[in-house]
Amino acid sequence: MGLMKILRKMKQEEKEVRILMLGLDNAGKTTILKKFNGEPVDTISPTLGFNIKTLEYEGYKLNIWDIGGQKTIRSYWRNYFEATDGLVWVVDSADRQRLEDCKQELDRLLQEERLAGATLLIFANKQDLPGAMTAPEIRDFLQLEEIQRRHWCILACSAYTGEGLLEGVRWLVSDISSRVFFLD
Amino acid sequence: MATVCEPEWQGGDEGDGGVEMYEVTPEYVNLLTAPTDQYLCDLEHNIYNIQFVDFRIRSLDEGNEGVLFDLGAGDRPSPIPPELAENAGRFIRYHFGPQFLEIQNIGTTLEFTNGDYEVQNFRMIERHYFRDQLLTSYDFTMPFVIPNTRNTWEMIYSKPALSDEWKEALINSPWEVRSDSFYFVDGRLVMHNRAEYNYGY
Repeated sequence: MGLMKILRKMKQEEKEVRILMLGLDNAGKTTILKKFNGEPVDTISPTLGFNIKTLEYEGYKLNIWDIGGQKTIRSYWRNYFEATDGLVWVVDSADRQRLEDCKQELDRLLQEERLAGATLLIFANKQDLPGAMTAPEIRDFLQLEEIQRRHWCILACSAYTGEGLLEGVRWLVSDISSRVFFLD
Repeated sequence: MATVCEPEWQGGDEGDGGVEMYEVTPEYVNLLTAPTDQYLCDLEHNIYNIQFVDFRIRSLDEGNEGVLFDLGAGDRPSPIPPELAENAGRFIRYHFGPQFLEIQNIGTTLEFTNGDYEVQNFRMIERHYFRDQLLTSYDFTMPFVIPNTRNTWEMIYSKPALSDEWKEALINSPWEVRSDSFYFVDGRLVMHNRAEYNYGY
């Protein structure tokens, strides 16, 4: 049995899934995390550090990492790439002004070797706000169709109402599990 | 890019023939079968200035959701006996009461701040005992903590249902549920905190 096979087998037994959630500041990462886990979302301050949630979901142990998106913190994101199974990129769909910024940061991440194996979910968040761009509009702006050799999906959501969140996590986990756990 | 500064370890010099200061390993504490009778590390070893600023417990049981205990929001731990007062910073007593034993789906949140140094491989090992019997334990590693940040970790899990005998034993044995929390940075023990719990009325 090769080393990869052994490692895979160990992972399979634990069924642990590591999800890294990134995006510009004020994209709504922490609100998504809290809403998904049934916490109030009325008073959320900028994350100057990280928030982790460990939870059981359909037989998997999910470790979800929400790292602050402030400019000063972004240079530390790379410290969290290792062993990431799923990358969630959160977009503030109403922030047209920073969409170019948002594209650049995402492009940078997609070139990261340590994230090469990660499934990518893009949340087009804040759909409850007037003037929010649609998921297809954001897909085109971010040029997602050009992504090669990676499973990806973009979904409209609202962290405020909760719409789309469960659907996103469900897709992400099922994609990861089909890739990682049932590969042999 | 932040400058990487390495904290200086005091007393960890090798080759002096003395006892190694950092012999307490994660592997060692994971094998413990009872609460420790002493602290396995000095207060001064917390050179990363890791400070726990909140501890929250909430129920996620359907129809019964809500925060049950929130240190950061002003819920107070129980007073500690005078003979243990010297360890006030790392010893804490929680009087939770019997209703805590009824929660099936629970979320516990730790919130902490840290100092100027980068923290690599911050590993938390916590072990809960009733008398000399291990009830539950966890072992969680954060690969990195950004200097001068505020961070949270919530662990959400389902507890196995307790039998009536167990509930009765726990309720009638105040402060006999104990926990040891060990915090390692890159394999070195930097903090050891202890707690006692009361599930009585």
